[in-house]
Amino acid sequence: MGYFAETDFFEDGQLIELLNQILAGNLTLEWYRVDNVRARAVAADPRRGLTYADCNLGQYGYDDIPELVRNRNSMAARGSVLPAKLPDLGYTINRKSDVWADGVVVLYEEAKTRRWAPAVDVPWAELAARFDRTREAAMAQLSTLLAEVALVAMEAAARWVFSINQEFLELKSFLCAQMIDEARHVEAWRKRALVSGEGLGRASVSAEQGLKELLSAETYPEASVGVNLLLGSFVLAACRALAALADTHADRRLAVLSMQDVARSVAYGTAQVRYHLAHQPARAAVLAEYLDRTEHTVLGIFGSPEFLEPLVLLAGRGQQPAARARGGAFARRWFATAVEEYLARTAAAGLAAREERSRLARLVRASAA
Amino acid sequence: MSYLSTTDFTEDEAFVDRFQRTMKGDLDLSWLDEPRERVGCRPENPRRGLTFRDLDVGGYGFSEMPEVIRKNRSFAPRGAALADGLPDLQADVNRKSEVWAYNVEGYYEEAMTRQWNATTDIPWADLQAHELPEDIGKAYAQLLTFLTEVEMIATDVPAKWLGRLNADFFEVKNFIATQAMDEARHAEIFRKRALSTGWGLMRASAHNEFNLKFLRDADSFAEASLTLHLQAEGMVLTLFRFSEYISPTEGDKKLFRLVMQDEARHVGYGMQHLKWVLDHYPERREAIHRHLDEAENFVFGAVYATEVLEPFIILAGKGLKKENVAEGIRITMAFNLKQTDEYFERLAKCGLPERRDRSRLWKATEMARQSMASAA
Repeated sequence: MGYFAETDFFEDGQLIELLNQILAGNLTLEWYRVDNVRARAVAADPRRGLTYADCNLGQYGYDDIPELVRNRNSMAARGSVLPAKLPDLGYTINRKSDVWADGVVVLYEEAKTRRWAPAVDVPWAELAARFDRTREAAMAQLSTLLAEVALVAMEAAARWVFSINQEFLELKSFLCAQMIDEARHVEAWRKRALVSGEGLGRASVSAEQGLKELLSAETYPEASVGVNLLLGSFVLAACRALAALADTHADRRLAVLSMQDVARSVAYGTAQVRYHLAHQPARAAVLAEYLDRTEHTVLGIFGSPEFLEPLVLLAGRGQQPAARARGGAFARRWFATAVEEYLARTAAAGLAAREERSRLARLVRASAA
Repeated sequence: MSYLSTTDFTEDEAFVDRFQRTMKGDLDLSWLDEPRERVGCRPENPRRGLTFRDLDVGGYGFSEMPEVIRKNRSFAPRGAALADGLPDLQADVNRKSEVWAYNVEGYYEEAMTRQWNATTDIPWADLQAHELPEDIGKAYAQLLTFLTEVEMIATDVPAKWLGRLNADFFEVKNFIATQAMDEARHAEIFRKRALSTGWGLMRASAHNEFNLKFLRDADSFAEASLTLHLQAEGMVLTLFRFSEYISPTEGDKKLFRLVMQDEARHVGYGMQHLKWVLDHYPERREAIHRHLDEAENFVFGAVYATEVLEPFIILAGKGLKKENVAEGIRITMAFNLKQTDEYFERLAKCGLPERRDRSRLWKATEMARQSMASAA
């Protein structure tokens, strides 16, 4: 057991005295007399309900969170009055620009309104009796890999929540929304693999090596740029490809619903880098160096035979040489576009000159030649 | 330096060559020939859709999962073919009975279908039309401040463990993810309600914060779950039920009904987990008792949390006048007894009936019950 109370309360005479006083009707009312700031949050647009933006009021609001949180290390609600003695809960991320992003509050609100449930929101029955074995095996293999990726994305959010200061409540809430989004993807892709009778495919060694490297980032800004922006860009592109290649309503719906969630993570990841660099411009070199050495992971994941080959089969619609060539051309365009979009996002986030530095960009150029 | 992949893929000529050949349609397709268990998973009840229970088939299912996971140390989905070279993710928890609960898959599916939205599912405009008198308004704002403060402990603690569980326990991981979201929503709704009363947030509670630190620092997932899901959330569930009863408006009653639904699920998991532990890992019984000894010390010490006890008395008695306070004390004492009774009842149902005999909290509660009876 890690932590014990300072007092054995069962042997505490003062506690019994306090209890007797309260039971006699003599309340302390110390909390009643605190000098707190009064506030009244009102919905700006009643049709949208009461949003966190409506609660962004003075010292209660997120705009007033200082860049460095020095004096609040407990779970006390932001803006509440602090009693004299509070424990330190051991947060290690106490700098706003290490985690914050403009728009994170809106993304959290959006996550709640766009919730879906794989069990009922995908017409699974449509997929029950499929006859194209190759196509089904390809879908099952892709689903296996996407379930692996989703599990890592869920864990990436989960592993940092515990360490982030409670003052950043809205941001932590967004990470919780990410966790449930990814849990949904773990569920949905597993169900997709198992529904058609093909069973799960093969876990990918190169993908998992890449995923473990991404998950092991040493700082939150690195973890966020790696998982939300870099990995997220490729997952988003993968879902878009699957939606385009789907030949059933169920597969299209699954891909589109997943895309919607992943797009939120990518938006957060991009905005987080932008906010981080706006407040800590010297960190641009650190993030650039991190991406220099980490970008190769997405090649291990999305260039793996367990992802790319089923994509080629789905796109080419068959195993014949002409179909394979067609599928290969699709995969080449897909990869080039995914890299291009990722680089555009890094530029928008304030990471200059990645086009020149990126080994992924070089690979695309070499593959086109 | 953090973990680095065993291969730098952009620098690995063989990998890049394979990648480029794939994009010309030259495929290896060894994954296609991988031996696999072919199963057809169908929704047992089409109205419920395709559930995790429908996927509980053969090697893919959770029923056949062994007590100790020896083979899969990677992120591979349970039942997938495992190739040589998969990384070891160094999960700390590889024993099923450390994390599993009867019906965990059902709790997860329920959580996914019962998500709600604190922004839009509460009649905020109606709530704002009710001006609360000062004593009720401040007492309610204080109760809400406490609830805002404690909710996200049930996010942070399970999230801390999520990544430490073997990937084969993904149903539990998924359940934890839903719980994290539930608790974020609870922190949100209590904060929003406090800020919409016109009184703002009141005072944090030192005693409760020390209790939160105790919850954070549990040594194992089983201990964390025991005190978080079963003891703490169980007591909060009773608190929600009484809070609904003493809520100042109909909108507030709805608020508590919604959070209760989620909280009941978390307590359900905690109970079914403890039951599972006692059924499958009986050696843990003594460790469980020892952990509860300290957890109950914090519960008894909650008298010091006047930031919770006193507003509750004022809300229950509907005011600060002497007669209101007397009535509030009567209701609050009844609530405290009920809260403790339910806690011990839950433990007994899980297979820990001897807890009452061992517990100092139970003895103190019995004494309080007797003194109330003789005073009546």
